[in-house]
Parts: sequence; C-alpha cells; structure tokens
Amino acid sequence: MKIFKFIISKIFLRKAILGISMILLLCMANYTTFTATRSILSTYQGYQETKYINQNGVYIANLDPDSYIDMDVITKDRTQVVYEYLNNNFNYAFYTDGFVVTIPNIDNMEISLSYINEEYYKLNQFELSQGENLDFDYQLDNEIPVLIGKGLSKTYPVGSTIEIEESVLGRPITLKVQGVLKQNAYHSNYYALNSKTYYNFSILVPVNEEFINNANIDLQLNGLMDLTILDTTNEKIINLSEILKENLGLEFNFFSQKENYDYFNEYYIHSLKIIAITTLILLIVITCISIWNALVSIRLMLKDFTINFLVGLSYSKLRKIFYSYFGILSCINLTVIFIFTAFNRYGCWLRKDASFATYGLFGLIGIDWLALFVVILSDIIIGIVIIENMLRKIKKVPISLGVLQ
Amino acid sequence: MLKENIIEIKKSLFRISDVLELCSVYIFCFFLNTLFEYIKTLDLESYILKEFLNKFTTYQKLIVLLFTFIVIVFHYQMLHRKKTEIFCKKLVGDTIFNITIRYIFDCLMILIFIYLLSSLVNIYFNFNLINNLYLVGIFFVYIIISAREVQKYENF
Repeated sequence: MKIFKFIISKIFLRKAILGISMILLLCMANYTTFTATRSILSTYQGYQETKYINQNGVYIANLDPDSYIDMDVITKDRTQVVYEYLNNNFNYAFYTDGFVVTIPNIDNMEISLSYINEEYYKLNQFELSQGENLDFDYQLDNEIPVLIGKGLSKTYPVGSTIEIEESVLGRPITLKVQGVLKQNAYHSNYYALNSKTYYNFSILVPVNEEFINNANIDLQLNGLMDLTILDTTNEKIINLSEILKENLGLEFNFFSQKENYDYFNEYYIHSLKIIAITTLILLIVITCISIWNALVSIRLMLKDFTINFLVGLSYSKLRKIFYSYFGILSCINLTVIFIFTAFNRYGCWLRKDASFATYGLFGLIGIDWLALFVVILSDIIIGIVIIENMLRKIKKVPISLGVLQ
Repeated sequence: MLKENIIEIKKSLFRISDVLELCSVYIFCFFLNTLFEYIKTLDLESYILKEFLNKFTTYQKLIVLLFTFIVIVFHYQMLHRKKTEIFCKKLVGDTIFNITIRYIFDCLMILIFIYLLSSLVNIYFNFNLINNLYLVGIFFVYIIISAREVQKYENF
C-alpha cells in the first residue's frame, strides 16, 4: 500500500495530464459500450415481449404510410361496421394507449390510460405485485376493474376507486383497482422494439365488445392501428383489408408471420449487427489511442520507474500497482456513467414524463445495471491490454538506460 | 563551421516521427468531427440505429472536445522530451523566444496542412467548411498554451 501510494503520488499524479487523458479515453469507451449494450438489451426485451406475433396465423395491422386519413369519411357508424365484422370473423388482440387523464396522485404525474382486450391480456401475461388478474366480464354501468402502475399504488391501493370525468365512453366512469403491476412494467413498440413506455403511471383498462361498441371514434380508430389478428388465414385478411378500405377509406397492410420474421431478420438483426460492429471498431480505436497514451506515460516516467527498480521494486509489484491504478480510473469512469444515467432517469421524474419514469436505485433499471456490468467487463479487457503493453515496454528498456534517460 | 552551427541551431524541435504523431492526432480529431457530420446526413430507416447514433451526435461537440485532449497529451509529452534539447539550443546561442516562435510556426504549419486536407474532404462530401473551423481555434489555443511551456525549460 505504501509503495502504491508513493508511485501514485510521486509518479502518476506529477504528470496528471496523462492520467486525465486516460480517464477521458476510458470514459468514451465506457459510454460507447454502455449505449450499445443498452440498445441491444432493450431490443432483445422488446423482441421477447412481442415474440407472440411470430406465430402462424398472426397478422399485424399497419396503416400504409401513403394512406390518407380523411376524418370526414370516418364516422362512428363506419368504425362500428368494421368492429362488428372483426367480432364476427376474427379473434383479435386489441391495444391502444396515450389517452391522458388528470387524476390526483402523490407524484403529480399525468396518467395515461391503456385499453386492452382479453386476447391481448392473455398474450402479454402481465405480472402483478398485488391484487388479482383482470376480469373482462363486467357491466359498463358498474365499476370497471383495472390494473394500475406502481406509481399510483400508494394513492390508489387495491380495492379503491378512481373517478374519471371524461372518458372514451363520453361520460364519467368509475374504475376499481383490481391489481398493481410490477414496477417498471413496460410496453414495446412493434416497429421500434428498443423504444419503451413504462406503465408505472398508467392504468390498464380492460375492454370487451360492449366497451368498444360504446366507445368514441378515437378509441375505435386508434385501436385499429396496432390490431393483432390471431388464428386467421390470408384470404380472411384480404377480406378484412377490403372492409377497412370500403368503410374507412384506409389502406392497411397486414404482415404475416413470414413477413414479420423476415422484417426482424432484415431490420433488427441487421441494425444490431451494425451497432455491435461499430462499437467494436470504436473500442479498438479507443484502446489503440489509450495504448499510445500509456506508452507516452511510460516514455516520460521511465526514469522514475527504473530508479524504483534499482531500490527493490519488482515487475510483479509494478503490475499490481498498474492494475490498481487502472482500477481506480475505471471506478471514476463507472461513477461518471452511473451519475449520467441516474441523471437521465431522474430527469424523467423532474420533467413529469410519466411514460419514462422508472423505479430502482437512483431510477436505474435492470438493463442499466446489466449494461454497467458489461462496461466493467470491457474495462477489464481494455485494462489487461493496456497494462500488459506498458509492462512489455518497461521490460524492453535496460535499467541502466532507463536511469540515464 | 559557424554557419553549420547556426543551421543546426535553427533546426526545428520536430523530428519526422513527431510530425507524423502530431499529424495523426490532428487527423483523428478532424476525422471524428467529419464523421459526426456525415452521420447527421444519413437518412437511416432503422429506428434503432438512429436512436443509437443520436446518443452520440447529441454530444458531438463534447465528444470531439474530449478527444482533443490527446493533442494536449502530444504537446505535453513532446516538450517534456525536448527539454534537454531546448536547454542545449540555448547553451549554443539560440534564444527561448526564437525556439518558441519556431515551435508555434511548426505546429501551425501542420495544423493548417491538416485543416486544408479535412476541408478537401468536407468539400467532397458537400459539408460546411465552418464545421471544422472551431477545432482549428481549439488547437491554436493548445499551441499557444504549450508554447508557454517552452519557456519553462529555459533552465534545465
């Protein structure tokens, strides 16, 4: 410890610029690794969540980007015809969100309502921390059983009721808290699997046929955008497309299992490969610069090291000192990355951004910790490469020459 | 003999290896900045890639600025290595003022050369030439600060 303190204070800190530059380079390497790992993990999570779409007979509705939405043509009667056709001919998973309401809660967040039908609920298997599963067989005039996010559970414990003045039914409704979702439950976008919204300040409202029939046009139309048709055939889907075109004037694409699979392979695997390769190249470049920086340090500190060799310092001791020194630099960087991430996560709470507010130690969630772990692994590899290069350089120079320098 | 000595004295502090090293660090910084500009022009269809690259382009200036630290390292280590040479030059009749001016001049020549190279790349990609100009300003400040260090080695 004494020799470690001596070498740090008398050699390394005397040339602090080299240490600072090593910290900055490591910081770049860590940020790159952290960002890439989080992107990959988040995409993987999204894939796991939505992998049920990759089954035979499952089709996902997607509004054609060139299709124009003419709200003069789309009326409640026409959407009703579409839903009647859907109810009579298909088994479908219904999900729509983004209906913001203001209800009192201790964090003063705006609450988002997500509407789901029974099929969607079964496919997604929401995990609960309290309460019971949703019941879809309810009467509209009574209280509607709902699931809420963790952020609302203190204000609205299981069994309590929530009054909503303006609902998609066009009248006040009463929701009854049936259960609380596990913290940081999320929903991934079908077309951007790495993009998530968190349910911590959301209410999951179960919808049945009666609810959809009585809902306003916003809910009915939005529900069609991400509609998942289950156990069907291509012929039936073609008919559905025609019904949609005929009644709403909208061109919908329905992607089959094969198309979804090909899309995933082409789009996601390709993107993830590019991210991984880019990260690897960046890490190699940064490691090379770090080696240059380390060799520059050795060039300038060689005299100090060799004098210490003369008075009894061994190569193995020096190796330990180097690893400890690098460990300290790594810890500084990990702290920086940790603070940066915590600041970003906490920023969502400060901005009252309910969709992205997360629970965890300083707001960090599972993928953040996993990414930090990968950063530690990458630091270990970079550290070994740099330090072994430094030691090789030192060993190459005879002690007498080192002293003369 | 005296004439030869004067020529020796007037030799730059830079050796070929130093010139190459400085060129490399400048090229790296300019390349990084141009790479960011290039990424910004990409019309990517992939949302994941866009999001990933966005995490870097958002902090473009900060990232490039942090990487310019390797230029500081170069100046620092080079002058550190040359302190004996600076002292010897002074012993044989050179002045610290002249050594400093020559050092600044050499650094600026390399900087301008690399900037012109990077400008050619910018012209090729139709990027704004001003994009890289701020780096010239930063590197000029580094040169001036490091030139002050030369005076430190007046007494060996």
